[in-house]
Amino acid sequence: MKTKHVLLLTVIFLMTSIIACNTNQSPEKQVASNRNAKIIRLEGGDWGYPTPYAHYPRGPGGYKTNLIFDSLLESDEKGLIPWLAEKWKTIDNGKHYLFTIRQNVTFHDGSPLTPEDVAFSLEYANQYPQSWSYLYQSIQSVRIQDKRNVLVTVKKPSVTMLLYIGRTRILPRHIWKDITHPQQFTSKASITGCGPYCLTAYNKSHGIYRFEAFKNYWGPKPAVQVIEFIPVSQPILAYERGEIDMAVVPPDVLPGFQKDARNKIVKSPAFWGIRLLFNLKSVPQFQNKALRQAIRYALDLNALVEKTTRGAAIPASAGILSPDHVLFNPHVKVYEYNVNKAIALLESAGYSPIDKDGTRNDQNGKPLSFQLLCSSGARISRSPISEIRIAEMIKEYLQKAGIHIQVKSADQRSRDAAVKNHQYEMVLLGHGGWGSDPHFLKKRFANDIRQGNSLNECRSFGYHNDRLNVLLNQQAITFDHQKRKQLIAKIQMLLSEELPEIPLFNTTNYTVFRPSTYDGWCFMYDHHSLAHSKLSFLEKQR
Amino acid sequence: MSKIIEYILTLWIILSLNFFLPRLMPGDPFLFVAGDEGNTVAQHTESIRESYINYYGLGKPVHIQYVHYIFELFQGNLGHSFHFNESVSAILLKRFPWTVFLIVSAVVLSTIIGVVLGSISAWFQGRFLDHVLYFCLILIAEIPAFLLALIFLFIFSAEFNLFPLSGAITHFAGYKGWKWLADICHHAALPILSLTLVRSSGMYLLARNSMITVIAKDYIRTAIAKGLNHYRILFRHIIKNAMLPIVTRIFLSLGSLVGGAILVENVFSYPGLGLLMREAVLMHDYPLIQGIFLLVTVCVLTANYLADWLYGCLDPRVSIKSRK
Repeated sequence: MKTKHVLLLTVIFLMTSIIACNTNQSPEKQVASNRNAKIIRLEGGDWGYPTPYAHYPRGPGGYKTNLIFDSLLESDEKGLIPWLAEKWKTIDNGKHYLFTIRQNVTFHDGSPLTPEDVAFSLEYANQYPQSWSYLYQSIQSVRIQDKRNVLVTVKKPSVTMLLYIGRTRILPRHIWKDITHPQQFTSKASITGCGPYCLTAYNKSHGIYRFEAFKNYWGPKPAVQVIEFIPVSQPILAYERGEIDMAVVPPDVLPGFQKDARNKIVKSPAFWGIRLLFNLKSVPQFQNKALRQAIRYALDLNALVEKTTRGAAIPASAGILSPDHVLFNPHVKVYEYNVNKAIALLESAGYSPIDKDGTRNDQNGKPLSFQLLCSSGARISRSPISEIRIAEMIKEYLQKAGIHIQVKSADQRSRDAAVKNHQYEMVLLGHGGWGSDPHFLKKRFANDIRQGNSLNECRSFGYHNDRLNVLLNQQAITFDHQKRKQLIAKIQMLLSEELPEIPLFNTTNYTVFRPSTYDGWCFMYDHHSLAHSKLSFLEKQR
Repeated sequence: MSKIIEYILTLWIILSLNFFLPRLMPGDPFLFVAGDEGNTVAQHTESIRESYINYYGLGKPVHIQYVHYIFELFQGNLGHSFHFNESVSAILLKRFPWTVFLIVSAVVLSTIIGVVLGSISAWFQGRFLDHVLYFCLILIAEIPAFLLALIFLFIFSAEFNLFPLSGAITHFAGYKGWKWLADICHHAALPILSLTLVRSSGMYLLARNSMITVIAKDYIRTAIAKGLNHYRILFRHIIKNAMLPIVTRIFLSLGSLVGGAILVENVFSYPGLGLLMREAVLMHDYPLIQGIFLLVTVCVLTANYLADWLYGCLDPRVSIKSRK
């Protein structure tokens, strides 16, 4: 066993030295950026056949499909922009949406895009759920008004419906109209879209994709003629060897890349995060707001970020929305790390002083001792953040305030199942989507909604707040942007005061690329990956 | 006949375990409440999740699903993968050859290396060469295959740029004929080397022990006393008689090598069964898990059967005993 440890340490040392040697290049002069490229290569891997129904429900699958299939609306760095729909109108407080369809748009097979195609695609997505559209069973009717306009009537008005309709991929009706098993429709015709790229090669086993620019694309010209996705096992090494043109860099090796002027490093918005949930039903002690606030005061999130992510994250806002979110409220309650404040809060709430075991008791003599469930992190991730490490640090912090934590780890799926079945006392959950529309807060906290089982919907089980409920329901039907922004700000204020859950941190990845190869990269307003934005591959308006 | 019934019974038990064990794992294929760092996952609503569960027949009682699975299996249908959205047999057909290539190459090479070194060690038993070989191979045996793979990857691929970092072929290069074959071997070199080295030590120890036992036999002493050529004694009398346990080991190691291949394939992003197995288990892709384990089971049982048969051929005493 000792031999194994020594070997492991040797290998880690070797790897670090090799990476350090490779990245330690002398600074060079700034290289001109290239806004057009003949070919770029990116990290591949199989994410499914890129049709709206066959790709895997993961980011890299969905965003590859977007290169082939356009939608009514697109996302730039600030918000939604017109795309296949030249303009749109919200009618009758979100009951109807009128989309004016762009003319002179053709599919890859040369057939023109018509309002019939749009109506068909929306109705089809309403009948069969697309891998990455949430339109399923939410549309009442789709009517073609005239040669250019399509009127969509939804079952239940909601601010997110525009996003759901706008991001649904538009299919050619003549190809899909007779398909009754869309997940299994993967013939060559199935990848006929009206997007800026055509798929020219795909291999599931090897995880490769090749996209070529569509010459008759209606919109901004593709700035990259060919995009190839190839499998890589070590993205950083593959980038260094020039096998791929972009990689996400861990903070440890970042300085090496920063020294080399040929590289450009971009920090991504903090839209992936970890939060701490309470089970208020099985542990009634968590009903006490003072306890939840004391826990928050006792946690040093800056140190947590430094030690568990080596600085590649920011402490999360107590109002839940990420500080990089377009609707983030910077005035939410801030909890500075302060153990004394935590202790004072607990003692004023009636908890006993710390006893010989180092733990407090509540008014009924029950010790403040809880189990914290986390994932054992069995998944091999590019930048693994160990939840066990986070849980252990939380345990140490809370012990100082007299709260005993027992860390329990389980494999990811077991943890997920425990969360679904509310079989936990406290649990750590890490996931993306922190930049998405804040309507997810309604799904997470509104009491009239059954708890969902998707990432953003899992809530601290048993939490109830009437005022929060009212605000969440109000924002869901407020279509005026400014008014909604105010409501979302209020919701964040309330959440930061109430702390039904404790967001811990949001990660900020660093992406490295060579501007001399291609420098047209951009983010979407709600997403963290440069390579996932369709606009990254299109010429920009100057 | 009883042997065949034994095999059929084993196959049925394993089939049932393959079916029920994945379903006993907590969670289901469409439940995602957390995601990998840096990745986004589609946020399925309850209605979407239910529609998928019904579409793939997971809403039915487990015993009905089991009967359906066995019925379909008899018709040659391994099912449809939830995650990969393709028929399981098609996926296996594409992936299996890559793993077979790695495993068979590793078995052949590790057998040759192990037997040769084992013979040398046994021949020079107790001398310096034996001690050196014994020490080196025991040291290698302690290193897990994936760790060895990582070391090779960082030294030979990253530092010296001698081998590719990952994959099984150079994509979009358009190689044909010999160039294509050379490219495949170039990509497979490090995975095969990792698996070979780890397996060699086991084979070495077995060959060495087996040879030492044979060397101590009276007929070898007689052969030496007769003044026969050393090579003739080694190859004609010692290796031939020491081969029995080695042959068994070769076939039995086929199954255990799949385990090593899983990790090595992950290190090199090699598109074989190992990488697929990991993805299938993580995604709770029941039909694919069943398909992969069924294939592995069939391979291991076939290997065992071949080992039994070959053992009988090499040592007629075995088949006579079993007939008795």
